[in-house]
Amino acid sequence: MEFFNSGFFWFLEGIILCIVIIGFNAWMKDHAIPMPFWKWTAFVIWIVLFGFNVAFIGTSIGENEINAAIKGGILFGLITVISGAGLWRLIKIGTRSPVQAKNERE
Amino acid sequence: MGPDHPFKRKMNVSKLPKNNSFIYLFIIILLVAAFWIGRTTSGPDLKPHVRNIFNQAAFFEDTQGIYSVFSEQNELIGWAAAGSASGYGGPLLVIAGIDTAGKVAGASVVEHKETPVFFRMVKTTDFFQSLTGRLFDEIDYDSREIVGATGATCSADAVVEGIRRAVAKVAGDKFNVHVPVRERPLKFGFLEIAIIVLFSLGIAAHHIGKSFREWLRWTGQIAGLLIIGFWENSPINIAKISAFLSGYFPDLHSDLYWYLLIGGFVLTILIYGKSVYCSNICPFGAAQRCIGLIGGANAKLPVWSVRLMNGLRNFFVFAAVTAALITAQPGSASYEPFAAIFALKGTLFQWFLLFIVLIASLIINRPWCHFFCPMRTCERVLQIVRQKTINFRKLYGKKIK
Repeated sequence: MEFFNSGFFWFLEGIILCIVIIGFNAWMKDHAIPMPFWKWTAFVIWIVLFGFNVAFIGTSIGENEINAAIKGGILFGLITVISGAGLWRLIKIGTRSPVQAKNERE
Repeated sequence: MGPDHPFKRKMNVSKLPKNNSFIYLFIIILLVAAFWIGRTTSGPDLKPHVRNIFNQAAFFEDTQGIYSVFSEQNELIGWAAAGSASGYGGPLLVIAGIDTAGKVAGASVVEHKETPVFFRMVKTTDFFQSLTGRLFDEIDYDSREIVGATGATCSADAVVEGIRRAVAKVAGDKFNVHVPVRERPLKFGFLEIAIIVLFSLGIAAHHIGKSFREWLRWTGQIAGLLIIGFWENSPINIAKISAFLSGYFPDLHSDLYWYLLIGGFVLTILIYGKSVYCSNICPFGAAQRCIGLIGGANAKLPVWSVRLMNGLRNFFVFAAVTAALITAQPGSASYEPFAAIFALKGTLFQWFLLFIVLIASLIINRPWCHFFCPMRTCERVLQIVRQKTINFRKLYGKKIK
Protein backbone atom coordinates (compact mmCIF):
# COMPACT_ATOMS: atom_id res chain seq x y z
CA MET A 1 0.00 0.00 0.00
CA GLU A 2 2.94 2.34 0.66
CA PHE A 3 3.77 2.26 -3.02
CA PHE A 4 0.47 3.97 -3.88
CA ASN A 5 1.23 6.82 -1.45
CA SER A 6 4.76 7.36 -2.75
CA GLY A 7 5.87 10.09 -5.14
CA PHE A 8 7.22 7.43 -7.48
CA PHE A 9 3.70 6.09 -8.06
CA TRP A 10 2.47 9.56 -9.08
CA PHE A 11 5.55 10.02 -11.28
CA LEU A 12 4.74 6.72 -13.03
CA GLU A 13 1.08 7.65 -13.34
CA GLY A 14 2.00 10.98 -14.95
CA ILE A 15 4.25 9.22 -17.48
CA ILE A 16 1.56 6.66 -18.32
CA LEU A 17 -1.07 9.40 -18.73
CA CYS A 18 1.23 11.34 -21.09
CA ILE A 19 1.87 8.21 -23.15
CA VAL A 20 -1.87 7.49 -23.32
CA ILE A 21 -2.71 11.03 -24.47
CA ILE A 22 0.13 11.19 -27.04
CA GLY A 23 -0.78 7.72 -28.31
CA PHE A 24 -4.45 8.65 -28.46
CA ASN A 25 -3.63 11.79 -30.47
CA ALA A 26 -1.47 9.83 -32.91
CA TRP A 27 -4.13 7.15 -33.32
CA MET A 28 -6.76 9.81 -34.01
CA LYS A 29 -4.56 11.34 -36.72
CA ASP A 30 -3.93 7.95 -38.31
CA HIS A 31 -7.66 7.26 -38.46
CA ALA A 32 -8.47 10.75 -39.74
CA ILE A 33 -10.61 11.66 -36.76
CA PRO A 34 -10.56 15.42 -36.18
CA MET A 35 -10.02 16.49 -32.58
CA PRO A 36 -11.18 20.08 -31.97
CA PHE A 37 -10.91 21.61 -28.51
CA TRP A 38 -14.41 20.53 -27.37
CA LYS A 39 -13.57 16.89 -28.04
CA TRP A 40 -10.36 17.22 -26.05
CA THR A 41 -12.32 18.89 -23.22
CA ALA A 42 -14.88 16.05 -23.19
CA PHE A 43 -12.04 13.51 -23.28
CA VAL A 44 -10.26 15.14 -20.32
CA ILE A 45 -13.52 15.24 -18.33
CA TRP A 46 -14.00 11.55 -19.05
CA ILE A 47 -10.43 10.77 -17.95
CA VAL A 48 -11.16 12.60 -14.67
CA LEU A 49 -14.37 10.55 -14.27
CA PHE A 50 -12.44 7.35 -14.94
CA GLY A 51 -9.77 8.39 -12.43
CA PHE A 52 -12.47 9.15 -9.85
CA ASN A 53 -13.92 5.67 -10.39
CA VAL A 54 -10.53 4.00 -9.88
CA ALA A 55 -9.84 6.22 -6.85
CA PHE A 56 -13.23 5.39 -5.33
CA ILE A 57 -12.66 1.65 -5.64
CA GLY A 58 -9.07 1.91 -4.38
CA THR A 59 -9.98 4.13 -1.41
CA SER A 60 -12.92 1.91 -0.44
CA ILE A 61 -10.72 -1.19 -0.52
CA GLY A 62 -8.09 0.70 1.49
CA GLU A 63 -10.74 1.53 4.10
CA ASN A 64 -11.75 -2.16 4.13
CA GLU A 65 -15.19 -1.28 2.76
CA ILE A 66 -15.39 -4.08 0.22
CA ASN A 67 -19.15 -3.80 -0.16
CA ALA A 68 -18.89 -0.09 -0.96
CA ALA A 69 -16.03 -0.81 -3.38
CA ILE A 70 -18.13 -3.37 -5.28
CA LYS A 71 -21.43 -1.47 -5.33
CA GLY A 72 -19.86 1.96 -5.88
CA GLY A 73 -17.49 0.49 -8.46
CA ILE A 74 -20.40 -1.03 -10.35
CA LEU A 75 -22.46 2.16 -10.19
CA PHE A 76 -19.67 4.58 -11.15
CA GLY A 77 -18.22 1.96 -13.51
CA LEU A 78 -21.54 1.88 -15.34
CA ILE A 79 -21.60 5.66 -15.59
CA THR A 80 -17.99 5.66 -16.81
CA VAL A 81 -18.44 2.93 -19.43
CA ILE A 82 -21.76 4.29 -20.74
CA SER A 83 -20.48 7.87 -20.89
CA GLY A 84 -17.30 6.49 -22.53
CA ALA A 85 -19.40 4.83 -25.23
CA GLY A 86 -21.29 8.09 -25.75
CA LEU A 87 -18.03 10.04 -25.87
CA TRP A 88 -16.61 7.65 -28.46
CA ARG A 89 -19.61 8.26 -30.73
CA LEU A 90 -19.13 12.01 -30.25
CA ILE A 91 -15.42 11.77 -31.03
CA LYS A 92 -16.13 9.93 -34.26
CA ILE A 93 -18.17 12.89 -35.54
CA GLY A 94 -16.55 14.36 -38.65
CA THR A 95 -14.39 11.29 -39.39
CA ARG A 96 -12.99 11.33 -42.92
CA SER A 97 -12.01 8.35 -44.99
CA PRO A 98 -8.28 7.46 -44.65
CA VAL A 99 -7.75 8.10 -48.41
CA GLN A 100 -9.29 11.55 -48.16
CA ALA A 101 -7.19 12.34 -45.10
CA LYS A 102 -4.01 11.16 -46.86
CA ASN A 103 -4.78 13.32 -49.90
CA GLU A 104 -5.35 16.33 -47.65
CA ARG A 105 -2.01 15.75 -45.92
CA GLU A 106 -0.21 15.52 -49.26
CA MET B 1 -41.38 -9.53 -34.86
CA GLY B 2 -40.41 -5.90 -34.75
CA PRO B 3 -37.33 -4.65 -36.58
CA ASP B 4 -35.55 -3.97 -33.30
CA HIS B 5 -35.05 -7.59 -32.30
CA PRO B 6 -31.45 -8.74 -32.02
CA PHE B 7 -31.69 -11.75 -34.34
CA LYS B 8 -29.36 -12.39 -37.23
CA ARG B 9 -32.10 -13.62 -39.49
CA LYS B 10 -35.85 -13.48 -39.26
CA MET B 11 -37.23 -16.00 -36.86
CA ASN B 12 -40.95 -16.46 -36.49
CA VAL B 13 -41.09 -16.82 -32.73
CA SER B 14 -44.78 -15.89 -32.68
CA LYS B 15 -45.52 -19.21 -34.33
CA LEU B 16 -46.55 -21.52 -31.54
CA PRO B 17 -44.77 -24.83 -31.21
CA LYS B 18 -47.01 -27.78 -31.97
CA ASN B 19 -47.60 -30.93 -29.91
CA ASN B 20 -46.42 -29.28 -26.71
CA SER B 21 -49.64 -29.99 -24.85
CA PHE B 22 -47.97 -32.58 -22.62
CA ILE B 23 -45.23 -30.15 -21.61
CA TYR B 24 -47.82 -27.47 -20.77
CA LEU B 25 -49.86 -30.00 -18.81
CA PHE B 26 -46.75 -31.14 -16.93
CA ILE B 27 -45.84 -27.53 -16.06
CA ILE B 28 -49.38 -26.78 -14.86
CA ILE B 29 -49.47 -29.94 -12.71
CA LEU B 30 -46.08 -29.07 -11.17
CA LEU B 31 -47.16 -25.51 -10.38
CA VAL B 32 -50.45 -26.67 -8.86
CA ALA B 33 -48.55 -29.24 -6.77
CA ALA B 34 -46.10 -26.54 -5.64
CA PHE B 35 -49.02 -24.27 -4.72
CA TRP B 36 -50.66 -27.10 -2.74
CA ILE B 37 -47.42 -27.92 -0.89
CA GLY B 38 -46.91 -24.24 -0.04
CA ARG B 39 -50.44 -23.84 1.24
CA THR B 40 -50.67 -27.02 3.28
CA THR B 41 -47.41 -26.50 5.16
CA SER B 42 -48.32 -25.85 8.82
CA GLY B 43 -48.21 -22.31 10.20
CA PRO B 44 -45.45 -20.94 12.41
CA ASP B 45 -45.05 -21.81 16.08
CA LEU B 46 -45.62 -18.61 18.07
CA LYS B 47 -44.31 -19.89 21.40
CA PRO B 48 -40.58 -19.21 20.80
CA HIS B 49 -41.49 -15.64 19.81
CA VAL B 50 -43.57 -15.18 22.98
CA ARG B 51 -40.59 -16.46 24.98
CA ASN B 52 -38.33 -13.91 23.27
CA ILE B 53 -40.67 -11.08 24.24
CA PHE B 54 -41.20 -12.22 27.86
CA ASN B 55 -37.87 -13.39 29.27
CA GLN B 56 -39.41 -14.78 32.47
CA ALA B 57 -42.09 -16.70 30.60
CA ALA B 58 -42.45 -20.24 31.95
CA PHE B 59 -45.74 -21.40 30.46
CA PHE B 60 -48.60 -20.11 28.37
CA GLU B 61 -52.33 -20.42 28.07
CA ASP B 62 -53.78 -19.98 24.61
CA THR B 63 -57.32 -18.64 24.63
CA GLN B 64 -58.77 -17.67 21.26
CA GLY B 65 -55.48 -16.53 19.81
CA ILE B 66 -54.30 -14.62 22.89
CA TYR B 67 -51.46 -16.13 24.89
CA SER B 68 -51.61 -15.47 28.63
CA VAL B 69 -48.01 -15.63 29.80
CA PHE B 70 -47.08 -16.89 33.28
CA SER B 71 -43.82 -16.84 35.23
CA GLU B 72 -42.32 -19.79 37.10
CA GLN B 73 -44.14 -18.63 40.23
CA ASN B 74 -47.41 -19.04 38.33
CA GLU B 75 -47.82 -15.30 38.18
CA LEU B 76 -49.46 -13.66 35.16
CA ILE B 77 -46.87 -11.38 33.52
CA GLY B 78 -48.65 -10.37 30.31
CA TRP B 79 -50.34 -11.34 27.13
CA ALA B 80 -49.23 -11.82 23.55
CA ALA B 81 -51.19 -11.95 20.31
CA ALA B 82 -50.43 -12.15 16.62
CA GLY B 83 -51.67 -9.75 13.97
CA SER B 84 -51.53 -10.18 10.24
CA ALA B 85 -51.47 -7.54 7.49
CA SER B 86 -50.90 -7.54 3.78
CA GLY B 87 -47.29 -6.76 2.80
CA TYR B 88 -45.51 -6.54 -0.55
CA GLY B 89 -45.22 -10.28 -1.21
CA GLY B 90 -48.19 -11.51 0.85
CA PRO B 91 -49.41 -11.64 4.43
CA LEU B 92 -46.99 -10.58 7.15
CA LEU B 93 -47.49 -11.96 10.67
CA VAL B 94 -46.39 -9.92 13.67
CA ILE B 95 -46.53 -10.81 17.35
CA ALA B 96 -46.84 -8.19 20.10
CA GLY B 97 -46.64 -8.63 23.86
CA ILE B 98 -48.36 -6.42 26.45
CA ASP B 99 -47.51 -6.64 30.16
CA THR B 100 -50.10 -6.44 32.93
CA ALA B 101 -49.53 -2.66 33.26
CA GLY B 102 -50.60 -2.19 29.63
CA LYS B 103 -47.08 -1.47 28.38
CA VAL B 104 -45.63 -3.03 25.26
CA ALA B 105 -43.16 -5.74 26.27
CA GLY B 106 -41.93 -6.28 22.73
CA ALA B 107 -42.89 -7.05 19.17
CA SER B 108 -41.37 -9.04 16.36
CA VAL B 109 -42.15 -10.34 12.89
CA VAL B 110 -43.04 -14.03 12.97
CA GLU B 111 -43.50 -14.72 9.28
CA HIS B 112 -43.29 -12.69 6.12
CA LYS B 113 -43.21 -13.07 2.35
CA GLU B 114 -41.31 -9.90 1.55
CA THR B 115 -38.34 -9.44 -0.74
CA PRO B 116 -35.39 -10.43 1.55
CA VAL B 117 -33.19 -7.39 0.87
CA PHE B 118 -35.96 -4.95 1.86
CA PHE B 119 -37.18 -6.98 4.80
CA ARG B 120 -33.68 -7.14 6.30
CA MET B 121 -33.65 -3.34 6.37
CA VAL B 122 -37.09 -3.17 8.03
CA LYS B 123 -36.05 -5.74 10.63
CA THR B 124 -32.92 -3.84 11.61
CA THR B 125 -34.59 -0.46 12.20
CA ASP B 126 -35.02 0.89 15.74
CA PHE B 127 -38.79 0.77 15.37
CA PHE B 128 -39.30 -2.44 17.35
CA GLN B 129 -37.13 -1.25 20.25
CA SER B 130 -38.90 2.12 20.25
CA LEU B 131 -42.22 0.39 21.01
CA THR B 132 -40.98 -1.34 24.14
CA GLY B 133 -42.14 0.25 27.39
CA ARG B 134 -44.83 2.40 25.81
CA LEU B 135 -48.45 2.17 26.92
CA PHE B 136 -50.45 0.46 24.20
CA ASP B 137 -52.78 3.47 23.80
CA GLU B 138 -49.78 5.79 23.32
CA ILE B 139 -48.52 4.12 20.15
CA ASP B 140 -49.08 6.34 17.15
CA TYR B 141 -48.84 3.52 14.56
CA ASP B 142 -46.88 5.55 12.08
CA SER B 143 -44.84 3.69 9.49
CA ARG B 144 -42.99 6.79 8.29
CA GLU B 145 -40.16 6.16 10.74
CA ILE B 146 -39.42 2.78 9.10
CA VAL B 147 -40.09 4.05 5.58
CA GLY B 148 -37.66 6.91 6.14
CA ALA B 149 -34.92 4.49 7.14
CA THR B 150 -35.59 1.80 4.53
CA GLY B 151 -37.76 3.02 1.68
CA ALA B 152 -39.83 -0.18 2.00
CA THR B 153 -43.28 1.43 2.21
CA CYS B 154 -45.38 -1.73 1.76
CA SER B 155 -43.45 -3.82 4.28
CA ALA B 156 -43.35 -0.97 6.83
CA ASP B 157 -47.12 -0.39 6.56
CA ALA B 158 -47.74 -4.12 7.02
CA VAL B 159 -45.49 -4.29 10.11
CA VAL B 160 -47.25 -1.33 11.74
CA GLU B 161 -50.74 -2.60 10.82
CA GLY B 162 -49.87 -6.09 12.11
CA ILE B 163 -48.75 -4.63 15.45
CA ARG B 164 -51.91 -2.54 15.65
CA ARG B 165 -54.08 -5.63 15.10
CA ALA B 166 -52.11 -7.69 17.62
CA VAL B 167 -52.32 -4.94 20.26
CA ALA B 168 -56.02 -4.39 19.49
CA LYS B 169 -56.73 -8.05 20.30
CA VAL B 170 -55.11 -7.85 23.74
CA ALA B 171 -56.43 -4.33 24.50
CA GLY B 172 -60.00 -5.26 23.62
CA ASP B 173 -60.01 -8.60 25.42
CA LYS B 174 -57.95 -7.87 28.53
CA PHE B 175 -58.23 -4.11 29.11
CA ASN B 176 -61.62 -3.55 27.50
CA VAL B 177 -60.12 -0.71 25.45
CA HIS B 178 -61.04 -0.36 21.81
CA VAL B 179 -58.06 0.32 19.53
CA PRO B 180 -59.65 1.69 16.37
CA VAL B 181 -58.86 -0.25 13.21
CA ARG B 182 -57.43 2.00 10.55
CA GLU B 183 -59.90 2.55 7.76
CA ARG B 184 -58.04 2.28 4.50
CA PRO B 185 -59.56 4.68 1.97
CA LEU B 186 -59.31 3.78 -1.69
CA LYS B 187 -55.95 5.12 -2.80
CA PHE B 188 -56.51 6.69 -6.18
CA GLY B 189 -54.06 9.47 -6.83
CA PHE B 190 -51.43 10.62 -9.27
CA LEU B 191 -49.77 7.22 -9.49
CA GLU B 192 -52.94 5.34 -10.39
CA ILE B 193 -53.95 7.99 -12.92
CA ALA B 194 -50.45 7.84 -14.40
CA ILE B 195 -50.75 4.05 -14.88
CA ILE B 196 -54.10 4.46 -16.67
CA VAL B 197 -52.69 7.24 -18.87
CA LEU B 198 -49.57 5.19 -19.68
CA PHE B 199 -51.61 2.15 -20.71
CA SER B 200 -53.92 4.41 -22.75
CA LEU B 201 -50.87 5.84 -24.53
CA GLY B 202 -49.60 2.30 -25.16
CA ILE B 203 -52.94 1.17 -26.58
CA ALA B 204 -53.13 4.32 -28.72
CA ALA B 205 -49.63 3.53 -30.02
CA HIS B 206 -50.89 0.08 -31.01
CA HIS B 207 -53.59 1.60 -33.25
CA ILE B 208 -51.77 4.64 -34.56
CA GLY B 209 -49.45 5.14 -37.56
CA LYS B 210 -45.79 4.08 -37.42
CA SER B 211 -44.22 7.54 -37.22
CA PHE B 212 -46.40 8.68 -34.33
CA ARG B 213 -46.09 5.27 -32.62
CA GLU B 214 -42.38 5.76 -31.96
CA TRP B 215 -43.07 9.15 -30.44
CA LEU B 216 -45.76 7.69 -28.17
CA ARG B 217 -43.47 4.82 -27.17
CA TRP B 218 -40.72 7.18 -26.10
CA THR B 219 -43.17 9.41 -24.19
CA GLY B 220 -44.62 6.42 -22.34
CA GLN B 221 -41.25 4.87 -21.60
CA ILE B 222 -39.64 8.04 -20.30
CA ALA B 223 -42.71 8.69 -18.12
CA GLY B 224 -42.57 5.04 -16.95
CA LEU B 225 -38.85 5.38 -16.19
CA LEU B 226 -39.42 8.46 -14.05
CA ILE B 227 -42.72 7.50 -12.37
CA ILE B 228 -42.72 3.69 -12.05
CA GLY B 229 -38.93 3.46 -11.86
CA PHE B 230 -37.22 6.27 -10.02
CA TRP B 231 -40.21 7.67 -8.14
CA GLU B 232 -42.18 4.57 -7.10
CA ASN B 233 -39.57 1.83 -7.73
CA SER B 234 -42.35 -0.66 -8.42
CA PRO B 235 -42.09 -2.21 -11.87
CA ILE B 236 -43.87 -5.54 -12.39
CA ASN B 237 -41.59 -8.30 -11.18
CA ILE B 238 -41.64 -12.04 -10.66
CA ALA B 239 -42.19 -11.62 -6.89
CA LYS B 240 -45.48 -9.82 -7.47
CA ILE B 241 -46.60 -12.34 -10.10
CA SER B 242 -45.68 -15.19 -7.71
CA ALA B 243 -47.64 -13.45 -4.92
CA PHE B 244 -50.73 -13.35 -7.15
CA LEU B 245 -50.19 -17.00 -8.17
CA SER B 246 -49.83 -17.95 -4.49
CA GLY B 247 -53.22 -16.37 -3.82
CA TYR B 248 -51.80 -13.45 -1.82
CA PHE B 249 -53.81 -10.63 -3.27
CA PRO B 250 -52.88 -7.19 -1.95
CA ASP B 251 -55.47 -4.93 -0.37
CA LEU B 252 -57.50 -3.34 -3.16
CA HIS B 253 -57.87 -0.08 -1.23
CA SER B 254 -54.19 0.58 -0.65
CA ASP B 255 -52.73 -1.35 -3.60
CA LEU B 256 -55.00 -0.45 -6.50
CA TYR B 257 -51.73 0.42 -8.30
CA TRP B 258 -50.77 -3.26 -8.56
CA TYR B 259 -54.19 -4.31 -9.85
CA LEU B 260 -54.00 -1.64 -12.55
CA LEU B 261 -50.44 -2.53 -13.51
CA ILE B 262 -50.80 -6.32 -13.60
CA GLY B 263 -54.37 -6.14 -14.91
CA GLY B 264 -53.20 -3.89 -17.74
CA PHE B 265 -50.26 -6.19 -18.48
CA VAL B 266 -52.46 -9.31 -18.70
CA LEU B 267 -55.42 -7.75 -20.50
CA THR B 268 -53.41 -6.04 -23.23
CA ILE B 269 -51.64 -9.33 -24.03
CA LEU B 270 -54.93 -11.23 -24.13
CA ILE B 271 -56.55 -8.58 -26.35
CA TYR B 272 -53.68 -7.51 -28.63
CA GLY B 273 -51.40 -10.53 -28.38
CA LYS B 274 -48.52 -8.34 -27.25
CA SER B 275 -47.50 -6.68 -24.02
CA VAL B 276 -48.18 -2.95 -24.02
CA TYR B 277 -46.41 -2.73 -20.67
CA CYS B 278 -43.15 -4.20 -22.01
CA SER B 279 -42.97 -2.13 -25.17
CA ASN B 280 -44.40 1.17 -23.91
CA ILE B 281 -44.20 1.46 -20.13
CA CYS B 282 -41.52 -0.73 -18.53
CA PRO B 283 -38.97 1.56 -16.81
CA PHE B 284 -36.08 -0.89 -17.10
CA GLY B 285 -36.84 -1.32 -20.80
CA ALA B 286 -36.69 2.46 -21.11
CA ALA B 287 -33.33 2.58 -19.31
CA GLN B 288 -31.94 -0.01 -21.74
CA ARG B 289 -33.32 1.87 -24.76
CA CYS B 290 -31.71 5.11 -23.56
CA ILE B 291 -28.35 3.36 -23.13
CA GLY B 292 -28.87 1.66 -26.51
CA LEU B 293 -29.21 5.09 -28.09
CA ILE B 294 -25.78 6.00 -26.71
CA GLY B 295 -24.04 2.81 -27.80
CA GLY B 296 -25.94 2.09 -31.00
CA ALA B 297 -27.25 -1.33 -29.84
CA ASN B 298 -27.09 -2.81 -33.31
CA ALA B 299 -25.27 -6.09 -32.69
CA LYS B 300 -26.89 -9.12 -34.31
CA LEU B 301 -26.83 -12.41 -32.48
CA PRO B 302 -27.02 -15.87 -34.02
CA VAL B 303 -30.46 -17.45 -33.77
CA TRP B 304 -29.17 -20.46 -31.81
CA SER B 305 -27.88 -18.24 -29.00
CA VAL B 306 -31.21 -16.40 -28.80
CA ARG B 307 -33.05 -19.72 -28.62
CA LEU B 308 -30.67 -21.00 -25.94
CA MET B 309 -31.08 -17.85 -23.83
CA ASN B 310 -34.86 -17.97 -24.19
CA GLY B 311 -34.91 -21.60 -23.10
CA LEU B 312 -32.68 -20.89 -20.11
CA ARG B 313 -34.80 -17.90 -19.11
CA ASN B 314 -38.01 -19.92 -19.26
CA PHE B 315 -36.43 -22.67 -17.18
CA PHE B 316 -35.15 -20.28 -14.50
CA VAL B 317 -38.48 -18.42 -14.31
CA PHE B 318 -40.31 -21.72 -13.94
CA ALA B 319 -37.85 -22.81 -11.23
CA ALA B 320 -38.16 -19.47 -9.40
CA VAL B 321 -41.98 -19.53 -9.45
CA THR B 322 -42.08 -23.18 -8.34
CA ALA B 323 -39.70 -22.42 -5.46
CA ALA B 324 -41.78 -19.38 -4.49
CA LEU B 325 -44.98 -21.46 -4.49
CA ILE B 326 -43.47 -24.36 -2.51
CA THR B 327 -41.93 -22.12 0.14
CA ALA B 328 -44.90 -19.70 0.02
CA GLN B 329 -42.29 -16.92 -0.18
CA PRO B 330 -43.02 -14.94 -3.35
CA GLY B 331 -40.36 -12.38 -2.46
CA SER B 332 -37.64 -15.02 -2.71
CA ALA B 333 -38.32 -15.50 -6.44
CA SER B 334 -37.21 -11.99 -7.31
CA TYR B 335 -33.87 -11.80 -9.12
CA GLU B 336 -34.45 -8.66 -11.15
CA PRO B 337 -31.99 -5.79 -10.66
CA PHE B 338 -34.76 -3.17 -10.51
CA ALA B 339 -34.14 -2.13 -6.89
CA ALA B 340 -30.41 -1.77 -7.63
CA ILE B 341 -30.95 0.74 -10.43
CA PHE B 342 -34.02 2.59 -9.12
CA ALA B 343 -33.39 2.59 -5.36
CA LEU B 344 -29.65 1.73 -5.23
CA LYS B 345 -30.53 -1.29 -3.06
CA GLY B 346 -30.00 -4.92 -3.89
CA THR B 347 -27.94 -8.03 -3.38
CA LEU B 348 -24.46 -8.35 -4.89
CA PHE B 349 -25.91 -10.71 -7.50
CA GLN B 350 -28.43 -8.06 -8.54
CA TRP B 351 -25.68 -5.41 -8.76
CA PHE B 352 -23.54 -7.65 -10.99
CA LEU B 353 -26.56 -8.50 -13.13
CA LEU B 354 -27.34 -4.80 -13.48
CA PHE B 355 -23.77 -4.08 -14.59
CA ILE B 356 -23.75 -6.86 -17.19
CA VAL B 357 -27.19 -6.00 -18.57
CA LEU B 358 -26.62 -2.26 -18.85
CA ILE B 359 -23.20 -2.67 -20.47
CA ALA B 360 -24.71 -5.21 -22.89
CA SER B 361 -27.46 -2.65 -23.64
CA LEU B 362 -24.81 -0.54 -25.35
CA ILE B 363 -24.38 -3.14 -28.09
CA ILE B 364 -27.52 -5.32 -27.97
CA ASN B 365 -31.05 -3.97 -28.14
CA ARG B 366 -32.77 -4.40 -24.73
CA PRO B 367 -30.88 -7.57 -23.67
CA TRP B 368 -32.75 -7.89 -20.37
CA CYS B 369 -36.13 -7.85 -22.12
CA HIS B 370 -35.06 -10.46 -24.66
CA PHE B 371 -32.95 -12.82 -22.57
CA PHE B 372 -33.58 -12.41 -18.85
CA CYS B 373 -36.92 -10.75 -18.09
CA PRO B 374 -39.44 -13.09 -16.43
CA MET B 375 -42.22 -10.92 -17.84
CA ARG B 376 -41.20 -12.14 -21.28
CA THR B 377 -42.00 -15.69 -20.18
CA CYS B 378 -45.30 -14.50 -18.68
CA GLU B 379 -46.06 -12.77 -21.99
CA ARG B 380 -45.38 -16.00 -23.90
CA VAL B 381 -47.62 -17.99 -21.55
CA LEU B 382 -50.45 -15.50 -22.01
CA GLN B 383 -49.89 -15.49 -25.77
CA ILE B 384 -50.22 -19.28 -25.76
CA VAL B 385 -53.46 -19.00 -23.73
CA ARG B 386 -54.73 -16.42 -26.20
CA GLN B 387 -53.78 -18.49 -29.22
CA LYS B 388 -55.29 -21.67 -27.75
CA THR B 389 -58.54 -19.79 -27.02
CA ILE B 390 -58.68 -18.43 -30.58
CA ASN B 391 -57.97 -21.89 -32.00
CA PHE B 392 -60.62 -23.41 -29.76
CA ARG B 393 -63.21 -20.86 -30.84
CA LYS B 394 -62.32 -21.37 -34.49
CA LEU B 395 -62.56 -25.13 -34.18
CA TYR B 396 -65.60 -25.55 -31.98
CA GLY B 397 -67.40 -22.23 -32.68
CA LYS B 398 -68.30 -23.45 -36.16
CA LYS B 399 -69.47 -26.83 -34.89
CA ILE B 400 -71.73 -25.23 -32.29
CA LYS B 401 -73.28 -23.01 -34.96
